[in-house]
Amino acid sequence: MNTLTVGARALELDKDGYLADLNDWSTEVANALASAEELELTDEHWEILELLRGFYQEFQLSPATRPLIKYTALKLGPEKGNSLHLNRLFKGTPAKLAAKLAGLPRPTNCL
Amino acid sequence: MSRSLLVISRQAPWSGPSAREALDVVLAGGAFDLPIGLLFLDDGVFQLAPAQNAKAVQQKDVTANLQALSLFGIDEVFACSHSLAERGLSAPDSAQPLSSEQISQMIDRYDQVMTL
Amino acid sequence: MSTLHVLSHSPFSDSRLDSCLRLCGAQDAILLCGDATYALQAGSAPFKALEVSAVVIFVLAEDAQARGLSLPEWAKSVDYPGFVQLSIDHDKVNSWL
Repeated sequence: MNTLTVGARALELDKDGYLADLNDWSTEVANALASAEELELTDEHWEILELLRGFYQEFQLSPATRPLIKYTALKLGPEKGNSLHLNRLFKGTPAKLAAKLAGLPRPTNCL
Repeated sequence: MSRSLLVISRQAPWSGPSAREALDVVLAGGAFDLPIGLLFLDDGVFQLAPAQNAKAVQQKDVTANLQALSLFGIDEVFACSHSLAERGLSAPDSAQPLSSEQISQMIDRYDQVMTL
Repeated sequence: MSTLHVLSHSPFSDSRLDSCLRLCGAQDAILLCGDATYALQAGSAPFKALEVSAVVIFVLAEDAQARGLSLPEWAKSVDYPGFVQLSIDHDKVNSWL
């Protein structure tokens, strides 16, 4: 079983490295997940992670790339809701990586 | 030019996997930018009923997922007026009601049809 | 444009046949197979509904035979190669799963 150690806690991960339990998520956990991906989270990242958690609250699913871009454009404007910006922040795979860092399940419709 | 697909969802949301499967086909198609339509027929219109609560039966919320359709590029969402009326449901905001004749014409218009 | 509607569930426990008849276009046809062939049970409500309908009805011969159903003259009997031919002859096939 995959685990992620944050402070004194060992959190369970699924086979693709996503949090098994959404409720385990915290900013600390996000930072730990990010450093496992060799990524340092900036304000620009946090903004998208919060947006994703809002998306999940509302629709109960993780968005694929296209809906993620659309939703970001809707909420934060087109200068952030475009593939260039999101690819730059999340190493070219924004739907998968951002969902992972936001503590969401792997997007199912993202092949 | 991709072939267009109409998915007809005709099962209630909480009774089995059909409603979820129909939605998954639609969302996957949308992610690939296929021209896709979704029609709720028979008990499928219960997916559009108000005030449903997935948590009461410990399930994932299909009805919340439906609200994301337009973000997935699915704008053609319809409901059978006859099925709605039969079940005492009023026309929802999220789907355009169609008469039997309009549905018949719509089935004609799509390249492929799948009924789940 | 024509659609071949394929039904395989019993019309006595399910509304597929009713809805299908309601939505059938002028060029469409229905193929009954599996338990849907019970719609040909003489004197039954689905039998009467099919009898008065303008839609062309096909039935998979072996499934009707297995159930001891005799075919009315308005139902055209097909075997599996006939099923394939029907699928080709129509623009699309809608299987009511």
